Amino acid sequence: MIRSDIIRGHLDSIILRLILEKDRYGYDISKEIAHRTNQRFEIKEATLYAVFQRLEKKELIESYFGSESKGGKRKYYRITTLGKAYFKETVAEWEELKDVINIFMEGLD
Amino acid sequence: MKKLTQHVNDLFKDIPASERKEVVMQEVLQNLEEKVWDLMEHGKEEEDAINKAIVEFGDIDELKNELGVSPEASERQPSMLKNRKLNLEYSIWGSVLIIGLFTFINFYYTPEIIWFVYPTFAVLWWPLSMYYRWLKVKRGE
Repeated sequence: MIRSDIIRGHLDSIILRLILEKDRYGYDISKEIAHRTNQRFEIKEATLYAVFQRLEKKELIESYFGSESKGGKRKYYRITTLGKAYFKETVAEWEELKDVINIFMEGLD
Repeated sequence: MKKLTQHVNDLFKDIPASERKEVVMQEVLQNLEEKVWDLMEHGKEEEDAINKAIVEFGDIDELKNELGVSPEASERQPSMLKNRKLNLEYSIWGSVLIIGLFTFINFYYTPEIIWFVYPTFAVLWWPLSMYYRWLKVKRGE
């Protein structure tokens, strides 16, 4: 289980990546994250909606209501052009960060 | 499912009513219901599924912040402004009295030398700094 404070700064990227693949709604995203990481990381719903609000405010994603499902209308999110550009940037940033952190984390026995 | 609706209402009760709040509440409820159904499909009892969904929801404070309710900021702001204003008023009255005293001593005992301007300048730093401290809070920094 990954500590939530350590992954916090990367939540935006994780969610952007999932929405980049296809339009998704809240539960779909939390399920997908748990599934892909083999339950090693599970996002709390409360956190997820906070991220949605933040990303929407920054106009990196936008929402629309999908078709009626069992409960009510699902709220879907799609990535914007700005969101795609932002995500690309964070990927490059991550590569850099990984290298830098690795300098200090690796090679010690 | 009624329990779920009740729980979502409880979670959001501190947040002032707004259109955005309604939309988020709808979304949260819809997704929670979907989770409950999903868990039930995987063989959980309804009661268990609802409890699991509620427990796993997590801490709502972060979402509150995004919805523009930061309890400390909204409550502290006015009282802090009042406090700073009081500091400013006190410094103005205080410096007026001190400057007045210097002026009196100057003209009463040594009217041939004008020296009261020096301490006056020194004392003026006090209300001036208080003024900027007050301005800082007023502009919400």
